[in-house]
This record gives sequence, structure tokens and C-alpha cells, in this order.
Amino acid sequence: MSTILRLIWFDLKQELNPPIWIVMEWVVFGIQLTVYGALISRLVTSMADYLQFYAVGFVIMMTFEIGSHTGRHFVEHAHEGRLPYLLSLPIPRWKLFLTVALQGGVELALMLTVPLSVTLSIIGNLTPISALSAVATLFWLGFGVSGLMLGLSFIAFRSADLYTAIVTALSTMIIRFSTVLYPMIFLPASYAGAAAFSPLTYGSDLVRFFLGFDPNMLVNPQIAIAVLTALAVSTLGLSAMLMQRIVEGVKSG
Amino acid sequence: MHPIETEKLTKLYGKTKALRELDFTLDEGEIMVLLGPNGSGKTTLLLILSTVLKPTSGKASVMGFDVVNQSTKVRQVLGISFQDARGFWRHKPIEILQFHATICGVPRDKRETLIEEILKDLELWDARGKLFMHLSGGQAKRLEVAKILVQRPKLAIFDEPSSQVDLRGKRIIWDHIRKLREDGSTILVATNEVREAEYLADRITILDKGVKVACNTLQSLKDSIAGGDIVELEFEAKDSKDVAEALGNLEGTFRVTKEEENHLRAYVSMAEEWVPKMTNICYQKGVKVVSVRVTEPSLDDVFLHFTGRALGATAT
Repeated sequence: MSTILRLIWFDLKQELNPPIWIVMEWVVFGIQLTVYGALISRLVTSMADYLQFYAVGFVIMMTFEIGSHTGRHFVEHAHEGRLPYLLSLPIPRWKLFLTVALQGGVELALMLTVPLSVTLSIIGNLTPISALSAVATLFWLGFGVSGLMLGLSFIAFRSADLYTAIVTALSTMIIRFSTVLYPMIFLPASYAGAAAFSPLTYGSDLVRFFLGFDPNMLVNPQIAIAVLTALAVSTLGLSAMLMQRIVEGVKSG
Repeated sequence: MHPIETEKLTKLYGKTKALRELDFTLDEGEIMVLLGPNGSGKTTLLLILSTVLKPTSGKASVMGFDVVNQSTKVRQVLGISFQDARGFWRHKPIEILQFHATICGVPRDKRETLIEEILKDLELWDARGKLFMHLSGGQAKRLEVAKILVQRPKLAIFDEPSSQVDLRGKRIIWDHIRKLREDGSTILVATNEVREAEYLADRITILDKGVKVACNTLQSLKDSIAGGDIVELEFEAKDSKDVAEALGNLEGTFRVTKEEENHLRAYVSMAEEWVPKMTNICYQKGVKVVSVRVTEPSLDDVFLHFTGRALGATAT
């Protein structure tokens, strides 16, 4: 365990020195919420307080974005020469994989601290259990997205362009065809059908369920838990297997 | 058990064959130099041995551990200094060495002293607090080598350890690699620099297009070139025709050419054995020899002899 922590800390302390990227995420959240969120919530009249709904949705989008960074970092490390070095260290491959996944989790936690706190304070009137359940859901979703992107990152070893194209297209579809920004009950049937395949639908609705939103406009929380668990376990398991069997450092010379 | 053993080791990158059924062994305590031009398969072999790449077919073992099935054990006994020192742009040299030493299990009580000593020896002490991205190419390369000197693994692998380093720095690195061997490590060095190979090698393996074309000590490789040694003879008398004929019939003579009236050039194998025989003939024929100059083939000549190409040419 100490090896894993050392590996995580070795990179993390650079992120924190100074924590520019983390603070930038907070600033982006603040601007998005106070400008776009505040204005759009005045336009949306069919919901009591759309700002609350939007704030949760934006946190979910941040979770997706940060989780997808994990896969991208992994590929960048390969091309920068860090991956061959890490692969040559006396560490079992599974520990290395766990390190990559956990590092993504820790970065997620750091970047979401302020946005999530602000969101929880906007919603207010929460119990510690509901807040903790929402946090746990975000982590579970983050792991699932990280696993998905790590799995896809192996494409990048063949073609970085193809990887970028796939991830961009996937991100666009997964976010737009989901309940991140609008509840399922407002979606036309064709959109709702597509949203049922987006993991963000289950992530965002489960977080909202724990934070006390009207359950009638959310997907069934038990189904959401099952889907997120299946996503995290299957994608992380698949990525771990790929790393064990396939991963190689990028050849040089 | 050899520290390194490969059997029919093959690596394909798509349709390109980087290694072709390579059989290769390394003896304990030796410094083996892999010599070959860019693209000859040196780096691929090193990356397979260090478990970074997987072979397409064939077998490879390090200290008895299979590189595919026992890869973690392999990594516990070896350390590799990569050709390109990259990857930790925002870290400082001292942090990189502390991290590497810790992960590789260098005892805590020796760690700091060893790191300081190596950083000072490799003239990196003043740069220990700079960010990696601000180091010069030579400094980054020395840091890459320093990782292995701090780690002191049983099997140390260096991929072009002194490329981008100035002449003084090269000598310091080479001396440290030799010292590492004296302290008990077995060493594998890949290079395309003749001087590096000559300075370090106990044995040299010549790789060309993924194939091992020769493996022996430097002297044996030179000696294996028929007519590779050149002996220039100058006589006191001008008429040396009889002597030229007699020398041409000597065992080990490849050919004899007359450069001037009293000047012969003989292309021979094993000049150290040929010269005493030549002296006897001259004595018998009453010819006085004014000067003898022996030129051995260079490692470049050795490479040219075995591959048909100059070392500087890129393998295609």
C-alpha cells in the first residue's frame, strides 16, 4: 500500500504546487453557476428552482470531465516516456493500475471539494448521510468514467487522433443524451431512450435522489445504483485486464 | 544460470521485424556492449528484458525469471537507464532520485548519502533543485544514469548512457559503470558509439537489423578479420623483392603491396604472431628493417566487416 501512496503523492504534490488547475476548476464552476446557471434558471419556469438542478448537473459534468482526464493522462504519460519508466519499476502491474485509478479519484476529490460544497449549500437542508451518499455516488461515477476512458485509451496507442475523435464524440453524446441538464420526464421519448444508455443519467439522478429532489422526475435509484456499480466494476476490470495483458511502453529507437 | 538468456526472441512492430530469433546470453559480472546502428533492435531488446515490451515470440529470462510470466520478479533485480530521459517535467532531480531509490528499495539509511554522492560525482549537485524541464540535455541524461547508480541493481541496463553528454561527462559515466560492475552488478550497455564500446566492453555483441551477427571480446572480433591488421615495413636496402615474396607466403598474410622501393605494406591476420616470423625472414635474408608500424582494425572496421555497412549508416 505504501508503494501506491508514494506513487500517487509523487505526482499529486506537483499538482498542488501551486494548485492552479484545481483552483481553475473552482473558478470555472463559480462563473458557470453565477452567470449561465443564474440566468438560465430565470428562463426555466416549469421547475421550482432550476439553479439547484443545474448545479448538480454541472458537478456531474465536472466529474465526467475529470474522470476522462485519467485516460488522457495515461496516454500522455506513454508518449512522454513516463509510462515505460513506470512499467520498469519493481511494482506489480495491478498496483500500477490501481495507482492510476486512485490518483484520478484523489484529483476528482480535490477538484470537486468547492463546487460540491457550494452545491450542497445552495440546496441546503441536508443530513450528513444524504450528503455523504451523494459524494459516494460521485466517486463511483468517477471511477466508472475513469475505467471507461482507460479502456478507450488503449486505442490511443494505435492512433491518438482516433482516440481524440472517439472520446470527443462519446463525451458529446453521453452528456447531451442524459439527464444531467434536464430531467427524464421532460425528454421526448426518442431522447429519453438514448438517455437510458448514458451512465451520467444514472449518476446525476442518483445524486439528486440523495439530495432530496423529487423522485418522480428521476430514474429508479436502485436501478441507478446497479448501473453505476456495473459500469465501475466492468470498466475498471476490463482496463486492469488490458493493462495486465496488453500494455506496453511506447517503443523508442 | 546466465543473468540474461534469450532463445529465438522475436519482436514485430506491425510488419517490421525489430528482433529476429535472437539467441543471446550474458555472463555474470561482465559488461556486455550491444553495438549497432539506430534501428538495429538494441533498444527493443533492452525494453523486452526490462518487461516494458512483450516479445512476439521466443523466450527471455533475467536471473532465471521469465520476462513475461515472472515480470515483477524480473523488475526486482534489474534497473534500466532509458535512452530518452523524459517524463517528469515538473519534478526536481533530487526528488526523482529519492522517489526512484525509495520505490526500488534502497535502504533508508544509505539513501540520502548515496544520492548526494552520485549527484556530486555526475556534476548535478548544483542542479538538484531545478525543475527537470529546465535541465540541459546532458544533465537530463546524467540524471537518467544516476537513477541506476543509486539503485545498484544486480543487473544494470544502460541504453546509450553517454549520448548528449560532453567528453568529460562521458568519462565520468563510463568510470561509474565500471565501478558498478566491480561492486557486483552485471552490466548490459547498448550503444552506437565506438569509443564507448571500446572503453566499457568485456564482450561486444553486434546487432544488425535485429540479428546477432557477432559476439566476442573486442580483440577476438578484431582478430577475426582476415587481413585486418596492417603492417607497414621500411627497409634499409631498396631492393626488397625477395623479402616481399617470402612475406607473401607467410602464414597469416593476406596480401603484400609495395608502396615504394624500400617500403612494403602487408595485410595480415594476428599481427602480434606475424611480426616475429617476418623478423626471422628478414634476418635470414640479411635485410635490415628500419621501421615497423602495426595498425589494428578499428571497431568501425569490425562492424563493416560483419555487416557490410558502416556503423553510422541507419539500418533499414
